[in-house]
Amino acid sequence: MSRSTQLRTAGSGRRRTSTLAVAVTALLTVGLPASTLFAATAPKVGAACTKVNATGKDKSGKAVVCKTKSGKKVWQAVATTPSTVAAPTATSAPAPSKGLSKTAGFDGKTIKVGVITALSGPAAVLGKPLAAGQEVFWKYYNEEKGGVAGKYPVEVVLEDNLYESNTTVQKYNKIKDNVVMLSQVMGTAPTLALLPLLKADNVVASPASQDALWVREQNLFPIIEPYQVDAINAMDYAMKSLGGKSKTICAVIQNDVYGEAGLEGLNFAADKMNFDVKTVAKYKQGDQDFTGQVNDLRKAGCQIVFAGALPTEFGKILGTSAQLGFAPQWIGQSPSWVDSLLLTPLKDYLTARVLIVAVGPEWGDPTVRSAAEYAARVKQYKPDQKPDFYFTFGYFQAQATAQLLEKAVAMGSLNREGIVKAMNSLDKLTFDGLASDYPYGPPEVRDPSRFSTMFKVDPAAPFGLRSLQFNFTSDAARAYSFAKAK
Amino acid sequence: MTPFRKDSANPTMVRDYGDDLHIFASRQTRVALGLLVVLAVLAPLKLSNFQSTVLDYAGIASIGAIGLNLLTGFTGQVSLGHAFFLGTGSYTAAYLGGQRHWPFLVFLLAAAAVGALVGAVVGPFALRLRGNYLAIITVGLVFTGQHVFESWTSVTGGLNGTSVAAPPRIGPVDFSRLVIFGHRFGRDQGFLFVIWALVALVALTSKNLVRSRSGRALQAVRDRDVAAEVIGIRLARYKVLAFVVSSSLAALAGALFGSYQQFVAPGDFGLVVSLQYIAMIVVGGVGTTFGPILGALFITAMPRLIEQFSDRIPGVASSPGAKGITIFSLNQAIFGSLIIAFLVLEPRGLAALWLRVKAYFRAWPLSY
Amino acid sequence: MNDFLQLCFAGLALGSRYALVALGFVIIYKATGVINFAQGSMVTLGAYFAYNFHKTWGLPFALAVVMAVVAGGLVGALIQRLLLRRMVGRPVFGVIMITIGLLFLLTEVMASVWGYDARDLGDPWGIDTVKVGGVVLSVKDLWGIALAGVVLLAFFVFFKFSGIGLAMRAAAFDQEAALARGISVRRVFGWSWAIAGAVAALAGISLGSGPAAVTPSLGLIALAAFPAMILGGLDSPLGAVIGGVVIGVTQTLTAGYQPEYAAFLGTNFHVVMPYVVMIAILLVRPYGLLGTKEVHRL
Repeated sequence: MSRSTQLRTAGSGRRRTSTLAVAVTALLTVGLPASTLFAATAPKVGAACTKVNATGKDKSGKAVVCKTKSGKKVWQAVATTPSTVAAPTATSAPAPSKGLSKTAGFDGKTIKVGVITALSGPAAVLGKPLAAGQEVFWKYYNEEKGGVAGKYPVEVVLEDNLYESNTTVQKYNKIKDNVVMLSQVMGTAPTLALLPLLKADNVVASPASQDALWVREQNLFPIIEPYQVDAINAMDYAMKSLGGKSKTICAVIQNDVYGEAGLEGLNFAADKMNFDVKTVAKYKQGDQDFTGQVNDLRKAGCQIVFAGALPTEFGKILGTSAQLGFAPQWIGQSPSWVDSLLLTPLKDYLTARVLIVAVGPEWGDPTVRSAAEYAARVKQYKPDQKPDFYFTFGYFQAQATAQLLEKAVAMGSLNREGIVKAMNSLDKLTFDGLASDYPYGPPEVRDPSRFSTMFKVDPAAPFGLRSLQFNFTSDAARAYSFAKAK
Repeated sequence: MTPFRKDSANPTMVRDYGDDLHIFASRQTRVALGLLVVLAVLAPLKLSNFQSTVLDYAGIASIGAIGLNLLTGFTGQVSLGHAFFLGTGSYTAAYLGGQRHWPFLVFLLAAAAVGALVGAVVGPFALRLRGNYLAIITVGLVFTGQHVFESWTSVTGGLNGTSVAAPPRIGPVDFSRLVIFGHRFGRDQGFLFVIWALVALVALTSKNLVRSRSGRALQAVRDRDVAAEVIGIRLARYKVLAFVVSSSLAALAGALFGSYQQFVAPGDFGLVVSLQYIAMIVVGGVGTTFGPILGALFITAMPRLIEQFSDRIPGVASSPGAKGITIFSLNQAIFGSLIIAFLVLEPRGLAALWLRVKAYFRAWPLSY
Repeated sequence: MNDFLQLCFAGLALGSRYALVALGFVIIYKATGVINFAQGSMVTLGAYFAYNFHKTWGLPFALAVVMAVVAGGLVGALIQRLLLRRMVGRPVFGVIMITIGLLFLLTEVMASVWGYDARDLGDPWGIDTVKVGGVVLSVKDLWGIALAGVVLLAFFVFFKFSGIGLAMRAAAFDQEAALARGISVRRVFGWSWAIAGAVAALAGISLGSGPAAVTPSLGLIALAAFPAMILGGLDSPLGAVIGGVVIGVTQTLTAGYQPEYAAFLGTNFHVVMPYVVMIAILLVRPYGLLGTKEVHRL
């Protein structure tokens, strides 16, 4: 503890030559395994301390501790493994000569970012892994890289929005003066409800939804390709590798914004690749019987069916199809999949008939170096975490946020204008090769990635998905343009 | 002629019908209310954005709850369709205020009028159906309403929802950018003035309605509608009246909700919202004037308060990925438990609790 | 024609599940005059019990079902014993509110115990089917239909011949008169909650069968069972079953034909259809198809 304080003081004392300090810190870290990397006092939000870091113990039993002493909560993280990380790579530009000034969410030591996600209620099935992805990334980043610029650990202020717009607005107002930005806001409607406030306050937020709506918004920080791109690429794959030209193509979608996004991509692809979408069956989340929808698809003679569904309903749709002897080639959008479907009697049907379009390599793919690293990292920081698209999305969001914060620190300001400026001057977002780069910059020039990966269902693969074609794109996807939300 | 000297200092001693009809029972009540008003005017100076937001939503809910209380508490018609009327108001505000740029007060009134109209259409159902049947049929209203909100894209924006660019501007004063004596109020603080002024207005109107001839008729309908009809109260008129007033207040609340939140989507008006409103009036105290306001404050602010403290409870995980109960689930669970505890211990609601405290202290220190 | 029959069968299967949920509503309403909003949570809980006994503890499926039904019944009785017993004689409104509170509470408790991920119940029926003529009948649906029939029959026998069943009828008919005859109304209330809990567990198992169908939001179906319950008449078990089947069949037929023949009604009209049917029928028959007409007196 005392050593950590010294270390901390040393780091902050040498801010004038902070690159040096960073290097020293890094060297010390390497040289002193199991030494404390940082200890920071959370001044006001004791709550955030518990929320973010009182995860209890990891395997070694001492990863993160949260203590209450005389009303003040102190949190410290103890590196459990020898860090092998050299000086942070992202700080290519030298930090400005004078120290960073304090601002909302930055007390000179710790950077706080907000995460507003559904953590209880029905939507928590998506929200919890989303937030857990952030948790793991920041833990890793703080412990192995020492935080942003190697010296500013990042703390997450976590809030539950129940997937409701009004709760989101309340929570935003609760934390906005206490965070530098929001590294996650879950839900399309909640994000839209927040948008006017973000604009008024000039706060940057990263939406946890792959909507094309976000790309041109000044105060939003979207990552990863939108669903439209995935759908277009999936159709490109269908045309080229599944003989789609001569087949009847249909879709079944959930009647909401998420389903519509996939359908938009499908219709765009139909236009570009000259095919017809014969039938679009729609259902509503919570539907119990799918005979009507499946019958429609069957009657229309569908041979390839694009599915923009969620796992529970996707399972029921496939179950009904299997029972009715309807066996087209299904192509599911990533959120349709969950590997527990493989534990059901549908296993054979899934293996034979279902493809999934998503982003990134397969979980722990040994041929993609970063994928193996990623899997190992998740195992290290959260051993019981199952592979999950939402988890990965949350992780990517945190990763993108880290790049933005690095840039902002390099440009000398973590205040709201500083973050916006940094976002507009970001060259690109990178994801360690797990997802393709996202050329960034001001909203007008942002160019979302147009790459997707096709998976087939394989019970032997981790997460039940084996990659068929990794990181590919299509002319149609490249031609897809993004308009500003109204 | 009453043989006693009238002593209006004792608010609970009601000696004749005139006493019962007083809008403010005593001088203390008037003084207390006066202080409350002063407090309400000064509060926005001190409140943080977060506190203001919570109170803004609570105020909006109060208006809706007062409306529901008139229907359910005073007229005895249980409605689970309140969310639908709120939605009607919100989308009216979005369309008239946002797209057509009608002035604030005008679109608020228009929303209330639209709400009244819809209420007048739905009201007659109550003539045919009673009690639980009526309650469930109003559940149908919520689902049909959501279907309309999702399908009528030109007005509602469909599933995507619609932004509501309808600022609270009254004449030259924009309450979202309020400056008084050089003090600049935030948007959330500015809205407090508008919302809580309307709460006061609506509460006063409702109190007045209840002690009028119509109000007595409504209560007669609640207590036994057949008997009411026999003594010459026209059931059709008063049941529909209750629906009209209640849904117009709900629509007013909805319009404020839209204007304040600046965005509404069909998901904002689900059945859970209706249940929350029922919870407000039951927890607050059915058939009282201030009950709904207390209830709205309780239901809106309580989850936020619980959050402040639930992380101090040992043995509860705070990590989103943790197994076992997390503080987020705990918040919801405590919220549910509180509602249960309340009703088991004080079924007459917060308002009754207040009366009890008052009664206790009246004789203090000699109370036992 | 085959399509039509196929949809009708699906409707019957769906309707039998609505019916099971509605039966739980009815029995509590019949005895206590309360609409139990927590019925949906009890349904979910039943499904999780069965999952827990069968998959986690490895008990045979049939035994797990029986145990889940017993556990469901115990939970129902416990709720009545701990919370609602104090509410006897208090306004019905407050009791309804308590059930709403339970809805919030139980949902999160279940999510904390079993998490939010979809679970597979591991029922032995899987995706097996039987083909009759041109219509494919899923074995799981046949079981669901049979289950609803058996429960209805059991209700009939129970109310007609068992002592407690008779007491329940008496209490439902006139509480004071029943009390005067020495019938313990509290015991009757306890039994009705226990039976509702047991039926809810059956409904949960019926709904949770099929691939990865056990989720915390399983109980939302209770909202769709409202129309089924009210359509048949709030206090009629037979009505609940008829209502369930009517709603189920209308819903699947709507899902099957409305997009083609009545697209102007908007997307997913089948979700609203139960409510439309309900409103239409109630306007003609204000106490549902088989509900008891209330007598109004001064």
